[in-house]
Amino acid sequence: MGAAVEPPQVFSFVKKNCTGCHNAKLTSGDINLAALDSARSFDESREIWERAVVKLKTGEMPPPGVPKPSAAEVAGVTRYLEAEFLRQDRTAKPDPGRVTARRLNRAEYNNTVRDLLNVDIRPADNFPNDESAFGFDNIGDALTLSPVLLEKYLYAAERAVRTAIFGPEKLKPAMIHYPLPVRINDLVTKPTLPKDLFNYDFSGLSTRHAAHITHRFPVDGEYSFRVVLNGHRPNQSEPVHPAFFIDGKMIKEWEVDATDLEGQIVEVRTTVTAGDHLLSASYLKTYHGLPPSYKGPEPSKRPPEPLISTRGKLTEKDIETLRKYGTKIKTDRLETRVDNRFESLDIGGPFTQPEGPAPASLKAVFVCPQQTPACAQAIVASFARRAFRRPLTAVEAAPFVKLYVLARQQGDSFQEGIAAALQGVLVSPHFLFRVERDRPGAFAPVSEFELASRLSYFLWSTMPDGALMAAAAQGRLRQPAVLAAQVRRMLADPKARALVDNFAGQWLQFKNIDVMKPDVEKFPEFEDNLRYSMRRETELFLGNLIRSDASVLEILDAKHTYLNERLARFYGIDGLAGPEFRRVDMSKTERGGGILAHASILTISSYSTRTSPVLRGKWILENLLDAPPPPPPPAVPTLDESKVGESATLRQQMEAHRANPACASCHSRMDPLGFGLENLNAIGSWRTMDGKFPVDASGLLPAGRAFQGPGELKAQLTKDKDAFVRGLTSKLLTYGLGRGLERFDRPVVNSIAARLPARNYRFSALVQDIVKSLPFQQRRSATNSTTPAAAGAESE
Amino acid sequence: MTNIITGKHLSRRALLRGAGGAAVALPLLEAMRPALAAAATTKTVGRVAVVYVPNGIIMNQWLPAKTGADFELTRVLKPLEKFRGDIVVVSGLSNLAASKSKGGGHARASGSFLSATQPKYTAGADVRAGTTFDQVVARHFATESRVPSLQLGCEDSRMVGNCDTGSSCAYTNSLSWRNPETPLAVEVNPRSVFERLFGTMDPSLDAATRARRALYKKSILDLTLENTQSLTGRLGSSDKRKMDEYLTSIREVESRIAKSEKDPEVPTGEKPSGIPFEFREYVKLMFDLQVIAWQSDISRVSTMMIGREGSVRTYPEIGVPDPHHPLTHHRNHPDFIEKVTRINVLHAELFSHFLERLKSTPDGDGTLLDHSTILYGGALSDGNGHSNDNLPLLVAGHGGGLRGGRHVAADPKTPVANLFVDMMERTGVPTARFGDSTGRLDLTA
Repeated sequence: MGAAVEPPQVFSFVKKNCTGCHNAKLTSGDINLAALDSARSFDESREIWERAVVKLKTGEMPPPGVPKPSAAEVAGVTRYLEAEFLRQDRTAKPDPGRVTARRLNRAEYNNTVRDLLNVDIRPADNFPNDESAFGFDNIGDALTLSPVLLEKYLYAAERAVRTAIFGPEKLKPAMIHYPLPVRINDLVTKPTLPKDLFNYDFSGLSTRHAAHITHRFPVDGEYSFRVVLNGHRPNQSEPVHPAFFIDGKMIKEWEVDATDLEGQIVEVRTTVTAGDHLLSASYLKTYHGLPPSYKGPEPSKRPPEPLISTRGKLTEKDIETLRKYGTKIKTDRLETRVDNRFESLDIGGPFTQPEGPAPASLKAVFVCPQQTPACAQAIVASFARRAFRRPLTAVEAAPFVKLYVLARQQGDSFQEGIAAALQGVLVSPHFLFRVERDRPGAFAPVSEFELASRLSYFLWSTMPDGALMAAAAQGRLRQPAVLAAQVRRMLADPKARALVDNFAGQWLQFKNIDVMKPDVEKFPEFEDNLRYSMRRETELFLGNLIRSDASVLEILDAKHTYLNERLARFYGIDGLAGPEFRRVDMSKTERGGGILAHASILTISSYSTRTSPVLRGKWILENLLDAPPPPPPPAVPTLDESKVGESATLRQQMEAHRANPACASCHSRMDPLGFGLENLNAIGSWRTMDGKFPVDASGLLPAGRAFQGPGELKAQLTKDKDAFVRGLTSKLLTYGLGRGLERFDRPVVNSIAARLPARNYRFSALVQDIVKSLPFQQRRSATNSTTPAAAGAESE
Repeated sequence: MTNIITGKHLSRRALLRGAGGAAVALPLLEAMRPALAAAATTKTVGRVAVVYVPNGIIMNQWLPAKTGADFELTRVLKPLEKFRGDIVVVSGLSNLAASKSKGGGHARASGSFLSATQPKYTAGADVRAGTTFDQVVARHFATESRVPSLQLGCEDSRMVGNCDTGSSCAYTNSLSWRNPETPLAVEVNPRSVFERLFGTMDPSLDAATRARRALYKKSILDLTLENTQSLTGRLGSSDKRKMDEYLTSIREVESRIAKSEKDPEVPTGEKPSGIPFEFREYVKLMFDLQVIAWQSDISRVSTMMIGREGSVRTYPEIGVPDPHHPLTHHRNHPDFIEKVTRINVLHAELFSHFLERLKSTPDGDGTLLDHSTILYGGALSDGNGHSNDNLPLLVAGHGGGLRGGRHVAADPKTPVANLFVDMMERTGVPTARFGDSTGRLDLTA
């Protein structure tokens, strides 16, 4: 430790080490440090000074080839500047900031329409993708509106309102075809069973012979399901029993007697409710009834000779057999494969469809029973109040009532008139945007109704419900006890699942698992049921963490997770039969718990053919250590992947890559973190070898602490829990506010994060503090805007 | 029949307007006919289609014994009796590129067929074959038609990876290749084909209702505009920017609507809601869409796969509950051969629907059939042995002055590419060589 540094020493350090390039003439990197020669600049040009600190600490600056300052000199200067930044933050004037009017994003639009009209038709699924900023798609400044989107709004409003008032669109039966991926390519000539065939789940849903897809049914109705089989069963096997499941519940079981299943069809019709359903096809007891030579359970009792001559011309007996069983008996060789699987699923329908509107929708709209002008007015006003999430005056409602009047003048019915008015409401900017009013004073609390909307879109991604609106109307929502109780109620509500889907899904990026395409040849075991199970594990883990109000540190180091048989087999955990997810203790396993043990996270941070210590290191820095690395410089040579696992280990390759100083400053932070997860392959399966080489999972934290393997990495990250909590707080505040964080938000983040340990890091404590915080409660008025241009524009 | 026509005729202009909100009734052709008669031009254009059937054809049920004008209609050709004068059965042609290639029998056949080029043997992403002749024609007319070519299929082909003994699914999923690296995916959903041609508007409402709805929509937009303007006045700059985006969008949509009001009346009817449940309806609808694309001159070139190679479709409606592909490996078992023949006959029946539509649709000084060249058949002859010789093919239509009613037997092992050269020449696309062609099989001679 040297003597305390004062500003003159900072400037002499800069003059000696930096301004040779960062001067008015060269302005290397667009930075002129020579101009920053007063202590005032620490505040006024803080972003530049902050960048300088980062570059100095990582050793990226001064660059190679120029004389380096001593480590002690660097430490003294950076310590001074960091202390200066903290002092600035401590003394900064509080500022709640301004949130730009937020357009409802796709998730919010779907949920809001659902809650307004009691119709769950997800019209926004056809909207263009929402723009994201700061990692989230609910940021007011980033969300734009185009003519294409407005066309979609008009159509969505028409569809939603007509569904509520007149019933769902009458659909003609049509067919949807799903090819089911073929993942069994065994070339087996001798009777063989899977090595890990223990007391297997007889439903077959967790075997590789099963297929799973999620399908969205547009309306309630009767649908037909045509399942096409493929693959083989050994000659002399008992018949197979394909079965069809909806949401894990068996709908029908069939019996098929054949050795060659290619193109065999089984079909069932059943009624299904509108919405997403998981459809599965499997073979029941698929390893039962095989010929005795397979040594499987309940072997076949059929006579030992094959059903059909194995070679040459068909005999009379063969033809008789074919007549009896159809053409699906293997005729050209003795079949030994057990690769019965599914080729495709055709969904036809709806064949019957309930007609007319849902009573709940009618109730939501027709709050006044008569078909009179007075009732029309009441209906429109009530709907607009809910849609705008605030009271509105008769004057404000009048134009919408005029749409009703127009329709009646055109000879349309009362219902048609209401429909026209409601459609008008649904394209109003007051519905599509969450606009907050400015109030007198530099900054002021948002209104009680605006606060209700902030809360409900934060925790539920939808409009405020009746209870929130009532509390706001009574002017009680801001009372601390009422507010805290509302937050507790909201977190316990099933709608809080939106936090998992929309907040955590984007924060931890695990939603990307849906679009990952691991290489088929390298990872033949990756199929859609595994994909689905990976995603469910993470969703259930986070959902339960929120519901049980556990410590957010469990994200780092939980001892448990949630598994079904498919994922348990994949993780190498015995004794878990069946497709339902259960809480499983992971503390005794090599893999352990915590988010870094989730296959979803490990897969989304890998390439399709191999792991990426870079992507994983970057993921950890961004999400767990609150230290996102800057984007890579242009023209970076890529890794020569052809050699990985063949002539060199991935680590050797990466180290060669880091020899480039342009890369080293960031990669020396990212890569050593990612290497700690090398025991987990590109789809998150445990391994001890990578190609020809044993896995080397030793790593290094940015602070220089060494560790060995995923377990020690987690332990080290838990030591850095302050950084994790601060990062999580920033992300959750960003998401909750719908804007990027500013300098004046840092004290807020720091104080929320600092209070968390005393409250056992409970998730609800974090949410409660965010909800109580200045930026969530208040809003800076436009006239006090910090940018002169903005202030000028708002002079009216 | 699910598609009911209720309304007025569709003008050529309304169709050509495309994605701006045109709407079309089905059966599409009924709606178009009078409009087309009025819009008939003197200039006739060349059009090309390929209609592909998979897994080979039972050759002794297809191939006429006699050549020339008095060839007999075999069992599989019988459904085309009405169009005897419009077709030329061509025998003796070989897909030499397929015979020389490595890989699965089905993948080699369809992967090489329309390019007459050997496909690279791979199951990976490095697929490579040749530009197909339909795409050469499409490029030739690209500036004259809004949708240069259509690739249609009646069997989903989203399979990936290894489809046939180590050969990529690309070789069986696609018939058309834009260039040697780019197979063109087939569109299997009639609704998507319709929307690609005509836009997304719902044509099922009657004219009066539609007018009222349009009026409400306009009023809603007016109201929203006022609403947004009055709101904007009270906002800060960043919020104002958002509202300005909205105002711009409203004005833009209003002006689009104003423009579309000047368009002629649109007929009423129903657009395809998706894939029809009945296979026959499905195939006919896909043919109808091709006809209307040609008729409106939105497109001139199409390829359609009634099924892809290796198809395991079952045909219970004609007594064939077994999947197609395994049946074709019939080992001369009469029951199997009979079932395959029935499938071959059904496909020919469905093709006759296409010819029927084309022949009854006026075009210039004749009919669409007079001005088109259509290849029907497959890239395998005997499916049992994956044979690429003596392919089952016929050419329909009188494009380039072709005279029908004949069976032309080419010398054995004549490259099928020689026929493509002829088809391109007759469509007005000068072609000296194509693929492994050794000359032109001039059917007009």
